Amino acid sequence: MTVTLTRPGAPAQITRVNDSATMVRVDGLTKRFPVRRGWMETIRHPVARQHATALAGVTFTVERSEFFGLLGENGAGKTTLFKILASLIVPDAGTVTVNGLDVVKDSARVRGLLAPVIADERSLNWRLSARENLRLFAALHNLHGAAGEQRVNELMEITGIADTGSKMVGQFSSGMKQRLLIARALLSRPSVLLLDEPTRSLDPLGARRFREFLRDEIVARQRCTVLIATHRAEEALELCDRIAILDRGVVRAVGTPTELASRIVGERYYLWTLAPSHPALACLAAQGTVTNVVTGERDEDGWTRVQLEIPGGPRTASDVIAALAAEHMPIASFERVRLPLAELIERIVANRGTVMADA
Amino acid sequence: MHKIFALVRASWLVGASYRMAIITSFGSLIVTVVPVFYIARALQPMMGKVVQGQGGDFFGFVLVGMVAFMFIGIAVGTLPGIISGSVSSGTLEAYLTTPSSLPTVLAGLMSYDFLWSFARAVVLVITGAILGAHIAWGKSLLAIGILALIVLSYLPFGILGASLMLWFRTTGPLPKAVIGLSGFLGGVYYPTHVIPSWLHSVSSAIPLTYGLRALRRVMLEGKPLSAVAPDLGILMLFIVGLCALSVLAFSRALHDAKRTGSLAQY
Repeated sequence: MTVTLTRPGAPAQITRVNDSATMVRVDGLTKRFPVRRGWMETIRHPVARQHATALAGVTFTVERSEFFGLLGENGAGKTTLFKILASLIVPDAGTVTVNGLDVVKDSARVRGLLAPVIADERSLNWRLSARENLRLFAALHNLHGAAGEQRVNELMEITGIADTGSKMVGQFSSGMKQRLLIARALLSRPSVLLLDEPTRSLDPLGARRFREFLRDEIVARQRCTVLIATHRAEEALELCDRIAILDRGVVRAVGTPTELASRIVGERYYLWTLAPSHPALACLAAQGTVTNVVTGERDEDGWTRVQLEIPGGPRTASDVIAALAAEHMPIASFERVRLPLAELIERIVANRGTVMADA
Repeated sequence: MHKIFALVRASWLVGASYRMAIITSFGSLIVTVVPVFYIARALQPMMGKVVQGQGGDFFGFVLVGMVAFMFIGIAVGTLPGIISGSVSSGTLEAYLTTPSSLPTVLAGLMSYDFLWSFARAVVLVITGAILGAHIAWGKSLLAIGILALIVLSYLPFGILGASLMLWFRTTGPLPKAVIGLSGFLGGVYYPTHVIPSWLHSVSSAIPLTYGLRALRRVMLEGKPLSAVAPDLGILMLFIVGLCALSVLAFSRALHDAKRTGSLAQY
């Protein structure tokens, strides 16, 4: 038996970034760090050097006012990348520009444009109040007198820490400290905000509120370009316009979660049928038109849920439905489901041999 | 200056939040200076002649030595301490992400310690004067200037210590060696001419020897600038040479720290 599709599936098109709208450009970024060796190894080979690669030819771009996520496991290179962007670490090779300014050659001007929230809460002055912490950094950002005071008041209102009074930061909750770190980063009205795992110390409710704050205030009102490094897939899915999957210092994929899902694993669907072992479905699976077919639960009326993936996008999916219907397979429902981002990342990381970056 | 003032203000607010530390900081001065007064008075018959060229009053001699020694401790130890603490806490990284230059940030962070020491030194000198030390108050400005030169001649050791801290996460024995040698051979508690002759060459290689001699002659004898100009000239040579060396070392250490990413390795 042969099932023929009316139209062959076309590969998903990835939207390329318009160069004129590019805020951050990372091109061929490479960074290696020396590895500390043991005493015996050092005595045996005193001159030899060992290096660990943190970033290997990382390339991507971020548009103005875009919410861009960097996802990857611990040690993937996210923090190193952020520190290079913040001109705290010098890269070995490659270039990084922020609004056209090179982060190495124009580091002082870049620091005026970009605000990192990469230091943890210990970088706050715990013996000072939130206001005094902000006053100090306002001065370091050249905001003096009434202008500085006004900005401090404004940010304390925005971030919801205005009522903390003279309470020392050491007595704040993690969520409050996180808000203060954000307020501190926003003092200079940055064009680009770097957030390194901003919700790691927050409880689920606090994390949700914080994400709402980022979406509504930072992006919608302040129009910041935001790069967020996280290993929380749901966070990236909720906030990010596009994501990059970073794995062992290499960008494995860049795109919207939907794009990546369709490029890498195709679309996932649930099919409710009375005949989960229908030959038409088996044939499509054998042809590779549908993949990862998993027969699931069967309800009391005899309908079985079959999970399947269809590479090639929605058109191929509609052709699959038509082909199954033509073969009289009893189908009650055929619904598209979103592939969990965590599973997507897992698949991309598992498929290390293929680099899928589009930038 | 705004930035330095903001950093000093923040340091003061932090310092002021430790009230007991403030009280003990000044209380310890009184506890220290009173026994020194009685010991110096007991030794005056023997030491009076020895310190004849620097005021003749042994208590005044030791008092000025204590003030200068307090400042060299700050000059040598503060910067490595700031680097160590701020790297560990992540505050250095936070400061470096602002448009402020590192020298400005470090100057601001150090200034508080120097101002605090200055306040302690004033209390120390006034207490000494109350106890009977003869101070030439009319030469206070010149004395402060000489004290500033002493600090500048020791600050390079602090910068070298900070460089070592960036490279190796430890200053090694450098601060203790510098402070210890200066204390024993720089004329803090006795004039340098009483130390054994074979140690004179070491003593003459210590900036404090010249700075302290000039400071005592101004503070205790009321000598004018011209009288201490040769000592200050040598002190200036130390400052120029050591500053050049230490700034080079620190630039290199900072570059290496940025290359190896160790600026914020806790």
